[in-house]
Amino acid sequence: MNIKKVASLIAPQAPHFVGDGFRVHNFIPHGNLIGMHRMDPFIMLDYNSAYEFAPSAVPKGVGVHPHRGFETVTIAYKGKVAHHDSSGGGGVINEGDVQWMTAASGVLHKEYHEEGFSKTGGLFQMVQLWVNLPAKDKMSAPKYQAITKEAIPQYTLENEAGSIAVIAGAYKSVKGAASTFTPIHIYNAKLHKGAAVDIDLPESYHTALLVIEGSIVVNGEQAVSTDHFALFENGGTTFTITASEDALVLILSGEPIAEPIVAHGPFVMNTQQEIMQAFNDFNQGKFGYLED
Amino acid sequence: MNSFNLKTFLTTNVEIDEQTIKEHIEKLKKIRIKKGNFLLRQGDICKHSFFVEEGLLKYYSIDEKGKQHILQFAPEGWFVVDRESMFFNQPSQYFIETLEDSVVTMMDEDVFAELSLQNKDFALFNNRLLHNHIRHLQNRINLLLSATAEERYLEFVKIYPDLLLRVPQTLVASYLGITPESLSRVRKDLATRRFQK
Repeated sequence: MNIKKVASLIAPQAPHFVGDGFRVHNFIPHGNLIGMHRMDPFIMLDYNSAYEFAPSAVPKGVGVHPHRGFETVTIAYKGKVAHHDSSGGGGVINEGDVQWMTAASGVLHKEYHEEGFSKTGGLFQMVQLWVNLPAKDKMSAPKYQAITKEAIPQYTLENEAGSIAVIAGAYKSVKGAASTFTPIHIYNAKLHKGAAVDIDLPESYHTALLVIEGSIVVNGEQAVSTDHFALFENGGTTFTITASEDALVLILSGEPIAEPIVAHGPFVMNTQQEIMQAFNDFNQGKFGYLED
Repeated sequence: MNSFNLKTFLTTNVEIDEQTIKEHIEKLKKIRIKKGNFLLRQGDICKHSFFVEEGLLKYYSIDEKGKQHILQFAPEGWFVVDRESMFFNQPSQYFIETLEDSVVTMMDEDVFAELSLQNKDFALFNNRLLHNHIRHLQNRINLLLSATAEERYLEFVKIYPDLLLRVPQTLVASYLGITPESLSRVRKDLATRRFQK
């Protein structure tokens, strides 16, 4: 067996607020520690670790902002988020749901705690990922994939060890719910205490995991506790996760797009010129309009 | 949009030798200042021209009713100074405040004078910057007197392409001399037209 080893274990850095509704630890790019290339096509990962929001009459969140050139993937573990966008779309991301938004050529959107959740307050835990698009798809039409918890296929592990929810890509014979532009695997592995599971992924894929609940040991040697992020070496094809206690683990793996990345704020393109174009288009109203 | 270094800014625009840079530019005070702090307050004498290397400043007055009027935003690579106060020694009518955590190089009046005497190229460049600034102010006066809200907005995004994503719309409206509601309407109208095309 060709083992995929942990290259580095990354503790959550001090949280910061995105708008007033998301209290996040940034893992990608994490300053220069990981950057936007090391986990390409995953170019950003903000993690709102489980956090108790007090009740609020006015929903907290992030106001209208644009995106171009990539996809945003929101994985809701606890709490609910309502979103609206400039194409007239909108909806609620409930616990266990995944919202896969292809911003591509450009959308304006806003995200707030869902009204009911906001009024009662409660535990909130989410991951927001930015998945880069290859140059040829950056200016394709925006679209949404609203993936409910029930629509995410599960692979049931033997001996009641747990299950692998396949958000994208495939785990063994089970194919994921989301369609992607480049080869990507995203799993939520739910493991009972003591259970072990082997994960096979292509050697060249950029791979990492984030422990959402509980704690695990990777390859029998590397302990990873709650809210910690493990980045794998680009080599080897298999790693083993053993749950030290009941655990939920987000696993990310993707084929590198390996194109130049020029990012500025909410725009991720291939050249500086395209970034300037994005600003111009946004300023001139070409992303549409959305009321604050 | 990027970090601008004063030394780089000058050396890419002016023939200026290392010795002069060492004597005059590298000795200038550079400060790191958090968002929401003041570099100048109304009533103070402005002692410096501020060059923004990182971050964003606003230069504004507050009227009797407490309403803010923004004369200028100064993002990376911009100078901001109250000329009436610095060059005519008058108490300032204005405030200069950081809108983001910023890195600012402070230049006093003597630096400009000495560099201009020593280096003809700098004198010419400084003169050009000054004329450019006056041109910008003329345009601004003309737009405030005669242009529609949309024309003012389109000029604003030409000058400051990324500021809409960095400052609240209320501040942009204050700079444009229109209400936030008018600014919203302008942006909505533009978007509607773009999408009908």
